[in-house]
Amino acid sequence: MARLAHADVIQLLVQLGIMLLIGRFFAELIRKLGQPTVIGEILAGILLGPTFLGTINPEWFQLIFPTTGASGLVLSGIVQMSVVMLLFIAGLEVDLHIVLQQGKQAVLTSLTGITIPFAIGFIFPYYFPEFFGIAPGMDQLVFALFMGTAMGITALPVIVRILMDLNLFRTRMGMLVVASAMVDDIIGWMIFSVILGMIGKGSDMPLWNTILLTTGFAVFMLSIGRIVLNKSLPWINKKMAWPGGVLALSLGFCFLAAGFTEYIGIHAIFGAFIMGVALGDSKHFSERAKEIVHQFINNIFAPLFFVSIGLRVNFVSNFDLVLTLIIILIAFAGKIIGSGLGTKLGGFTWQESLAAGFGMNARGAMEIILGLIAFENGLINEKVFVSLVIMALFTSMTSGPLMKWSLARTWKT
Amino acid sequence: MKIKKIALALAFSPRMQAMMAEAARWAKMYQAKLYLVHVGEKSEEAEEKISQLLQSAQWSANDTTVLWRKGDPTDNILQVCKQEQIDLLIAGALKKENLVQYYLGTPARKILRKASCSVLMLVNPEVDAIPIKNVVVNAEDSPYITEAIRTACEISIKQKANWLHVVREVKMLGLTLASLDDCTEEEYDQQRNSLMQAEIENVEKMLSGIAHEGLRINIKLLSGKSGFELSQFAQKKKAELLVVGASPRRLFFFDRVFPHDLEYIFQDLPCNLLVVHSRARKEATHG
Repeated sequence: MARLAHADVIQLLVQLGIMLLIGRFFAELIRKLGQPTVIGEILAGILLGPTFLGTINPEWFQLIFPTTGASGLVLSGIVQMSVVMLLFIAGLEVDLHIVLQQGKQAVLTSLTGITIPFAIGFIFPYYFPEFFGIAPGMDQLVFALFMGTAMGITALPVIVRILMDLNLFRTRMGMLVVASAMVDDIIGWMIFSVILGMIGKGSDMPLWNTILLTTGFAVFMLSIGRIVLNKSLPWINKKMAWPGGVLALSLGFCFLAAGFTEYIGIHAIFGAFIMGVALGDSKHFSERAKEIVHQFINNIFAPLFFVSIGLRVNFVSNFDLVLTLIIILIAFAGKIIGSGLGTKLGGFTWQESLAAGFGMNARGAMEIILGLIAFENGLINEKVFVSLVIMALFTSMTSGPLMKWSLARTWKT
Repeated sequence: MKIKKIALALAFSPRMQAMMAEAARWAKMYQAKLYLVHVGEKSEEAEEKISQLLQSAQWSANDTTVLWRKGDPTDNILQVCKQEQIDLLIAGALKKENLVQYYLGTPARKILRKASCSVLMLVNPEVDAIPIKNVVVNAEDSPYITEAIRTACEISIKQKANWLHVVREVKMLGLTLASLDDCTEEEYDQQRNSLMQAEIENVEKMLSGIAHEGLRINIKLLSGKSGFELSQFAQKKKAELLVVGASPRRLFFFDRVFPHDLEYIFQDLPCNLLVVHSRARKEATHG
């Protein structure tokens, strides 16, 4: 195994230490203000990155976070691993049980909730690709498909947190919203995998082949794979040390699935996500085990990922106010109309449907991951990436207060 | 649950005497009229067998209607239940079926999934009455929850059960996601405790409208896959009877591929299972 030079080891450890410490400091500050900690972590990245430190003291920035060299490469690998793990826990959060309890209604609500934002998010970038900052040489259709997917995705943890705050989590509406967000996630990540396949980085696979592989892998993992995991978990729980056994094996399975999907030409994140869904659905994968995996990834790897966002891009020079406002507007319009209509079709009042639309509007971390992968694959430029990050944060911050407002307000009929 | 008519799906199997004895006990407990449904040829020999069974169960033939049907057992039994407006159908089932049987669906499981009346599925029928010590009831949100708890209370009182365990699921997923690095340890504990307290209060509220004087009640909160955890709990408590509300929608093959709630219980019946289906509610729903 190749070894890092002495100086690179020190640099890497300093990078990780600073990212975790400053990230946590700002996360705590933001938490005191009652906002999601991810905002603090991204702020920390912006301060440590080219936007602030790189501008006021470029030498320091280069010293701590050099753009070239072995430590930067290893850090990039750790961030890549963090993304895979974040998608794995996003998969674990998908509770097929809740989706099946809601039955047809969840599918109907989520389909409306993803189709309308997808259509709105697709049409504008398709007809005005230059305005939306399409990367040079990028196919217009692929770009528009990505923007549609970016508008359709939801942030399940943010939604659950809001519903818990409003004491709506266990209500019929709460469960329908959660189930719909879960279905949206599955569909959204499948579409995104196909889009990444269409970009063709590292593979010349035809489109139909990508679609077939993506759906084939998902179907296989959620049927046979799920049964095999379900049968092997009791043995793991019984014979192996707790929680080391289940923790190591679940992450091992996650990396293998991610590696496999990357190998067959669909992105690693999809393998990790589907493995999370399959494993999380097992009756033998306890809530306690899920909680441990969550805490481990969310408190160590997620901050590294979110801080790294600010290290990549200059958020000031790439900030385009008009583009950001239009992306926010499209995001709001698509989700509120789509999810609102879907909930209304589920037999709720207009007031409740509007509230559900506001709730589903939260994009959170998932949007940032989606944006970063698209950026890394040359699908979007820096300006769109910055706008998407701001949109993700803005929708997450406003969705709770707007939901509360719409439920408290007396509507004239 | 008002039970005026009880039907027993009668097959001439080694367990038929025990099944008859159980049906007679339930009919006596509810002072209900007993219907015996047999899918098969009507013959003198078969009639004689039924007569012997009634005698051995000390049940009068005058209080019994025997219905003979030909064809598919499941369809015929369910049809009789509808035609005769049966309140409770009693049938026997294996505790666990093999994979092929499970996915294809045996008559017993089909009855559980499709019946429009309450169903008592017996995995351990006994000729001599066995005292019921532990009854477990599912208090998971469903249209039949009140009816299921009321029925479980009634049976526990009538059978002088030692314990009625009222089991409700706590959605820990909500707590995990809601508290993700957003609260201190103390705040997390507070949230966890208030979540637990809220669920206990929910159960107490349900129980307050149901007669349960003199009954020892244990409210148990479980997290995980609700049907599976409920089944595990019933086995752990060595319960003689598990009472659950019927599924609010029809269960299909897809529900067996991706099991949830009742399907987990149907996969591996932990003990005798009573699926409560409130006719009054159903009629109201259908106008």
